[in-house]
Amino acid sequence: MKHLLNLIDGDKDIGRGNKFWAGFFLVLICFFLYPTFVSSFRASNTAFYLLNIPMGFGLCLIWGYCGILSFGHVAYYGLAGYAYGIIAGNLLGNSWGPILGVLGGLVVCTIISGIFGYFVFYSRIQKWIIPILTLVFTLLLETFFVQTSGYQWRVGRVLLGGFNGMTNIPFFQIGTFEFEGYSFYYYCLVIVLVLFFGLRILVNSKFGQIVIGIREDELRTEMLGYDIRFLQCVTFIISANLAGISGLLYVQWGNYITPSQMGILQAALPVIWCAVGGRNSFIAVIFATIVLNWLSFTLSSQGNQYALVIIGTLLVITMVFFPRGIVVMIFEKMQKIR
Amino acid sequence: MSMLTDSNQIIISTHNLNKKFGGIVAAKDVNLSVNTGEFRCLIGPNGAGKSTLFSLLCGIERADSGEIRILNKEVTKLKPFQRIKLGLGLKFQTNRAFQSLSIKDNLSISNNKIQVMDNEIAEERYQLALSEFKLKSEGAKLARELPHNMLQWLEITMILASFPKIVLLDEPTAGMSVEETLFTGSVLKRLNATGLTIIVVEHDMQFVKDVANKITVLHEGEIFSEGTAEEVSNSEEVKNIYLGRD
Repeated sequence: MKHLLNLIDGDKDIGRGNKFWAGFFLVLICFFLYPTFVSSFRASNTAFYLLNIPMGFGLCLIWGYCGILSFGHVAYYGLAGYAYGIIAGNLLGNSWGPILGVLGGLVVCTIISGIFGYFVFYSRIQKWIIPILTLVFTLLLETFFVQTSGYQWRVGRVLLGGFNGMTNIPFFQIGTFEFEGYSFYYYCLVIVLVLFFGLRILVNSKFGQIVIGIREDELRTEMLGYDIRFLQCVTFIISANLAGISGLLYVQWGNYITPSQMGILQAALPVIWCAVGGRNSFIAVIFATIVLNWLSFTLSSQGNQYALVIIGTLLVITMVFFPRGIVVMIFEKMQKIR
Repeated sequence: MSMLTDSNQIIISTHNLNKKFGGIVAAKDVNLSVNTGEFRCLIGPNGAGKSTLFSLLCGIERADSGEIRILNKEVTKLKPFQRIKLGLGLKFQTNRAFQSLSIKDNLSISNNKIQVMDNEIAEERYQLALSEFKLKSEGAKLARELPHNMLQWLEITMILASFPKIVLLDEPTAGMSVEETLFTGSVLKRLNATGLTIIVVEHDMQFVKDVANKITVLHEGEIFSEGTAEEVSNSEEVKNIYLGRD
């Protein structure tokens, strides 16, 4: 237990020590109390910000810690969502349907990312090509799903739905209890927390250290006796599954999914969250994902057509003035002042 | 420290190893064999193929033909990390410690314990390097904050952290002062005395004379001459290739 606590408090993410954790748990209590002050609708909207965090974590792990930029993590977001919709939709009325849907979504993510990762990493493709390949992959998936309109594109009794996407996807449920509104908010919050602590343990463990070594110098790490292709592949699969978790939460939240979720605009968003917050820190990604999703949502809901332009401008400003991410650099400044 | 006793046993060898880069011959029929516990130095003019030979031994470069054996196992087709796992350790010519990580992290990543046998003695070697090179007390420092000599020592210690049986050091004293070179040589000699096989590529002849049991002279990718420090330094032919005389 003490070992685990040491790993959680390790130095591979910003934020360590008693003061940090006191602040962290204070904020966490606010998050837990938040639904008592707002309507179920607002709690559900806030859950949308939370459900995107695992995908941000996934990109943070593969890009920030392993040094490989994936511009197509939304591919796994979409695949997991569609897989859940197909399985849970076909098992409608069966209380095990959503759970099997979740497992199915993660299995699909693991298999597809495993195959993709195998060809990318074992063929020793240069790092700079990987963002292009991942983007092309997600755009191919989007194109494929767009043309799945019509009754011939049916899996069991579930229609893929083409451009309009898949609708009537069931909520997540355990037994007869369905997660929606307030309960869905808490469900997302707990998943984010579990993943956050799990990933802090991972990056501060031996595995995390080697992954960081790969980011710093692939050949040096390999010449210390590590099978870096395998480790890159495993890290890619973990990060794809994290994106998949976001996809699962998304379809459980909105009960639908469209191919545009795998499009280029969506593909850019997790890259922006990580870059603006700080790609080497999970805590920064949490902060940036919530704030940027809130900003985007607020601007869009007020009829502002330039939400994406504003978010894009923020990315450019960050890359020029805060190359390591705004949250990370603010945190470092605060530590220096102290 | 206990001594390793199985010397006179070939620990690493090559048979008719060839490698060409376009029209440049980097290795030509190289037949090298190094015994357990030996301190071998590879010398030769620039472009003689010394670093390429290290790359071939580790699998960074694939040989065009020929055979490499480590601990009597054919490794020619094995991947680099598989060869390393047999007990090989490589220090690159250009220092490749993880610059943005702390000394502690550099050593922790390197602590792969690839060798399953002789763990005790391997740990002793690692501890010896750690204390002699004064890296323990500097643990929190980032590698990029270290002076050049410390960086070289860090990379040597990183290799020892993986508990190798054979250590390949490509110019371990490059850029060091005379005192630092002498000190590095003395530590390497102490490590060798524990039975660790060390193969070094060096240009500093005084260092080579101080540490080597045997010297191999490479010239244009071929083994030109082999012998003790005295034999090699007295050889007119070796002097000729070093001075560029015909």
